[in-house]
Amino acid sequence: MFDLISEMFGYAFMRRAFVVTTILSASVAPVGAFLVLRRLSLAGEAMAHAITPGVVIGFVTAGLSVMSLLFGGLIAGVGVAVLTAYLARNTILRSDASLASLYLIALAIGIFILSAAGSAVPLKSFLFGSILGVDDASLILVGGVATVTLVTFALILRPLIMSTCDPVFFESQVKRPWIVDQGFMFLLVLNLLAAFKTLGTLMAVGLMILPATAARYWSGTITAQLGLGFLFSLLSCWLGLTLSYVLPETPSGPAIVLVAGVIFILSALFGPLGLRGQFNATRKT
Amino acid sequence: MAPIVNIENLALGFGDSTLFDNLNCQVEAGSILAVVGANGSGKSTFVKTLLGLQAPISGRIQWPNGRPAEIGYLAQLTEFDRRFPIRVRDLAAMGAWQGFNPFSGLNNTTRDRVEAALEMAGILDLAEHPLHALSGGQLQRALFARVIMQNAPLILLDEPFSAVDQYTEQHLLSVIETWQSEGRAVIMVLHDLSAVLDHCTHALLLGNGRASFGTVGDILTPDRLVAQGYMSSSQASWMFRGQPNEEAN
Repeated sequence: MFDLISEMFGYAFMRRAFVVTTILSASVAPVGAFLVLRRLSLAGEAMAHAITPGVVIGFVTAGLSVMSLLFGGLIAGVGVAVLTAYLARNTILRSDASLASLYLIALAIGIFILSAAGSAVPLKSFLFGSILGVDDASLILVGGVATVTLVTFALILRPLIMSTCDPVFFESQVKRPWIVDQGFMFLLVLNLLAAFKTLGTLMAVGLMILPATAARYWSGTITAQLGLGFLFSLLSCWLGLTLSYVLPETPSGPAIVLVAGVIFILSALFGPLGLRGQFNATRKT
Repeated sequence: MAPIVNIENLALGFGDSTLFDNLNCQVEAGSILAVVGANGSGKSTFVKTLLGLQAPISGRIQWPNGRPAEIGYLAQLTEFDRRFPIRVRDLAAMGAWQGFNPFSGLNNTTRDRVEAALEMAGILDLAEHPLHALSGGQLQRALFARVIMQNAPLILLDEPFSAVDQYTEQHLLSVIETWQSEGRAVIMVLHDLSAVLDHCTHALLLGNGRASFGTVGDILTPDRLVAQGYMSSSQASWMFRGQPNEEAN
């Protein structure tokens, strides 16, 4: 075991991968927790697809650089989030239907451009990420996003808890409640982009949602939910990277999300708020 | 008593559909106004309009002393996420949201106020319990504790007794009367006419496109309740049996 760890950390790309996923875990854990608590788990998945056209246009026009991904993805993601909120407020459609419609359009545009760009686009890396080839620029992007995310969460945590727990009360008390809602969506897009390069479009949301849903089975307070979500996220990354190293043909993105999936299933089975808790409660009555 | 809010020629509705119009009323400090009406008559819409969550079709809402910095509000229980992972104590503390500092926890004064609010709402023994473990009545008590924490001059309650037993209702009514004695104004949407008759000073009856405001004795008459679609003639006869007003018969 020690030999394996020693050998693994002998490679610079593995050390870099461990560092970047550790930072990523700290950043995505609170976003994932609030995605779940705000009943936006599927919206997170939709948003991951919604940023596709921006990322693809950025890639086609400026190559696979961090800045092109960041700006392209931000414009597409924030655009879809703002349009979704606008349609939900001003038309008969609710936000879930508005988002579903817009993300499908965005995804279609992204795939269309991706196909038109031809074989120049590294499709596998696009879908599953390239965590083993993380460069300095990606490391800076993930570090920057984590800093922005954690500082913003420190500032808006209490309003965010209020708006998530009781949105009607929050709206009745605050002059501009949309700032918190849209601010959270902005953080979601930022973190998707940070996770995008390392985990790919298909896996980016996995590291947000699965540790958060698993943590929900164990935690009765928001503090425990946030802390445990981070630990599960970290565990998924470290075990997933090791798995990917031991089995070289296994892409790191799916390996990480698969470990998170196993943690989720174990939590659902044995967590006090999962099936075990339900079983114990039924037996008592 | 000084008026907290003056309402002039207010009309509420959605798009081309008007729920009621020509409402003129005044809510004074130390008064309890019951908002009564059939389903869909505009009771919750009226409350949300006062909160600024919905714009009126026409009319004016005037605040003689300025709109209060804080308006206490309790929405219907159906709008609340009971699975959210916080404790009763934390929910009550939300009422002190205006004093929140992002860089520190609650100070000792606020903690003491939370204890006092939970005690007043009769739920101090459940302070550490998560919300999902509470019954409907216990949750309503916890939400009352949050309203107590708001320390607001005007308090709006939307169907506060819809999911609680008689014992809890009596306790919460005593909390409301304490607010009244402290000079706060309370506006609450109610369906229980006996609670309105026993505890409220004024009533606003909505229905059939009309809004009637006055003292409880002036508004809750069989004639008005039938005319504004709140109950049938036979129901009114049964409810007001033995009273001198027999016009509903």
